[in-house]
Amino acid sequence: MGKIEEKFHDLRIKGKKAFIVYVPFGFPNISLSRDIILTLQESGVDLVELGLPFSDPLADGSILQEANQIALQAKATTDKLFPFLQELKEDITVPLILMSYYNPLYRWGLKNFLRRVKYLGIDGVMVVDLPLEESSDYISIARNLDLDTIFFITPTTSLARKKKIMECSRGFVYYISVTGTTGPKNLSLQSIRREISSLRKINQLAICVGFGIHSVSQAREIREISDGIILGSVIVEFIKENFKNRDFLKSLNFLVRRFCV
Amino acid sequence: MKRSILPDKSGYFGEFGGRFIPETLFNPLKELEEAYNLLKNDIEFNRQLNSYLKDYAARPTPLYFAPNMSRYLNIKVYLKREDILHTGAHKINNALGQALLAKHMGKKRIIAETGAGQHGVATATVSALLGFKCDIYMGETDIERQKMNVFRMQILGARVIPVKSGSKTLKDACSEAIRDWVTNVKDTYYLLGSVVGPHPYPMIVRDFQAVIGREAKKQILKKEGRLPDYLLACVGGGSNAIGLFHPFFYDREVKFIGVEAGGLGKKDNHAASLSKGDIGVLHGTKSFLLQDKFGQIKLAHSVAPGLDYPGVGPEHAYYKKIKRANYVTVTDREAIEGFKLLSKLEGIIPALEPAHAVYYLKRLAKRAANSLVILCLSGRGDKDLDIVREWGK
Repeated sequence: MGKIEEKFHDLRIKGKKAFIVYVPFGFPNISLSRDIILTLQESGVDLVELGLPFSDPLADGSILQEANQIALQAKATTDKLFPFLQELKEDITVPLILMSYYNPLYRWGLKNFLRRVKYLGIDGVMVVDLPLEESSDYISIARNLDLDTIFFITPTTSLARKKKIMECSRGFVYYISVTGTTGPKNLSLQSIRREISSLRKINQLAICVGFGIHSVSQAREIREISDGIILGSVIVEFIKENFKNRDFLKSLNFLVRRFCV
Repeated sequence: MKRSILPDKSGYFGEFGGRFIPETLFNPLKELEEAYNLLKNDIEFNRQLNSYLKDYAARPTPLYFAPNMSRYLNIKVYLKREDILHTGAHKINNALGQALLAKHMGKKRIIAETGAGQHGVATATVSALLGFKCDIYMGETDIERQKMNVFRMQILGARVIPVKSGSKTLKDACSEAIRDWVTNVKDTYYLLGSVVGPHPYPMIVRDFQAVIGREAKKQILKKEGRLPDYLLACVGGGSNAIGLFHPFFYDREVKFIGVEAGGLGKKDNHAASLSKGDIGVLHGTKSFLLQDKFGQIKLAHSVAPGLDYPGVGPEHAYYKKIKRANYVTVTDREAIEGFKLLSKLEGIIPALEPAHAVYYLKRLAKRAANSLVILCLSGRGDKDLDIVREWGK
């Protein structure tokens, strides 16, 4: 059992749901990025999704676009990611997922990249713009490394594809709650519930819901009908607005705990 | 026909192309592909398209022998006059084709990206004609340097949405249009303007632009009784070039030259993805890109807004790889010289994009004197008068 699967197993036994937070590597700068991740861990986040910044994040709304740009200005590129993970490895206990667009991975060399991050403590990978049809190399490399491949399912995914995606996903599957980009949205609880129950019929894989979640009440409602939620923009926006304040990490801890409860 | 083999079923031209897109777009692209495959051989659809191309857009365009240019350079030059088309550039060929496709798919709204504004104007035009709501994404930098086209789009009833992210040019306009499409995919048709993006776009846009090459082939055979030695076209995303080249693909004696924007002529500050870029994935397709060693996309630069894009169509990447086409660069300065040369010698003011190809004639004439050349004059230069006037000030 991989570390991610183990986490979901533990949570299930305790009757709990996963709380996952996305932050871009190097946002708002590389050293603070480390403090942020450790604060997330401390405040009860079950899994951390670390984004490798990209110049053209197609699936992201304005908040995460800006965060990607800020991280790139802080020179948070692939070569800096490795020493960062090396250092983080000593202190991180929660499972770590790496999220990226395909080009930085392709450019580095997919095999080399995946081998390296696995060695540096990454447990699972998600590549936003690599649909199943383009993923055969990616999947076989990841399987050999015992690295979890997390794929996405959206409201536009057909039933036949859902089955294939659930079968190729490891750790959990990422259900995108809206037809759209990341960032605060009104979500239809009813349609999310319907989608999740249809996915449940396919297999036992954990299903986490992301995109659009921005309020504590939304988070609570969606957590009840799924195996976990992923928060991104709302946390990133908070970091952007507050990272210069003296009590920033404390206030981040407080915010995250509010979503955890 | 052998010709329709590429792209393959997965949308690949050799190792290039494909469909590198967020999951949300997978089924919409599949639907688009199915709708297109159904319609492309439909007699009624083609009758409709051809009728618009003829009576609305003014096809066929002439293949004009440029006597003064030919004498001056000692090379036999024919211009494929896409600049004469309605709205002033080859972009209308594709816009008409795709808008009719959108109509058949029952879409209500059309969105598009634009750099120089030519594709935006073409899209706004066909939207007015066929009754679509139309939103055009355009980088702030381009809005500033192509004011007249912005106004034209607005007059035609389109909304021009300024894009403030990244380089504020075509690349970012394209990203924003994709984000809009991801969000509004149910009723919205994304009318992509060049042979880039995820499959099936590079194929669809090529097929609608291939009318350029098909006509040129017939015309040159009629006028000269033989095929040309060279085809010459500018390449940004590469739609006018593929449109001209593709129908000659199996005519091995015809050499293809694609002219990219060399910009300032330095290591950076250009838009020469094929000549100076590396393989990567941007906007859903695998092709040559301007990128740094970490896979971050670099900003392109060209005096010609329509060439200002850090990627290029996958079919061009394939032509380069198999050495079917040769790709060269022409700098901003040289393009301006080409612009002035054609204006003075032939009384034809070219857009700055094909002015790159016009300039390249000078170099070609030195090594291939007296050869027979067709140059795709993809658009007219009215939109560029401000840029040329300000040039060198």
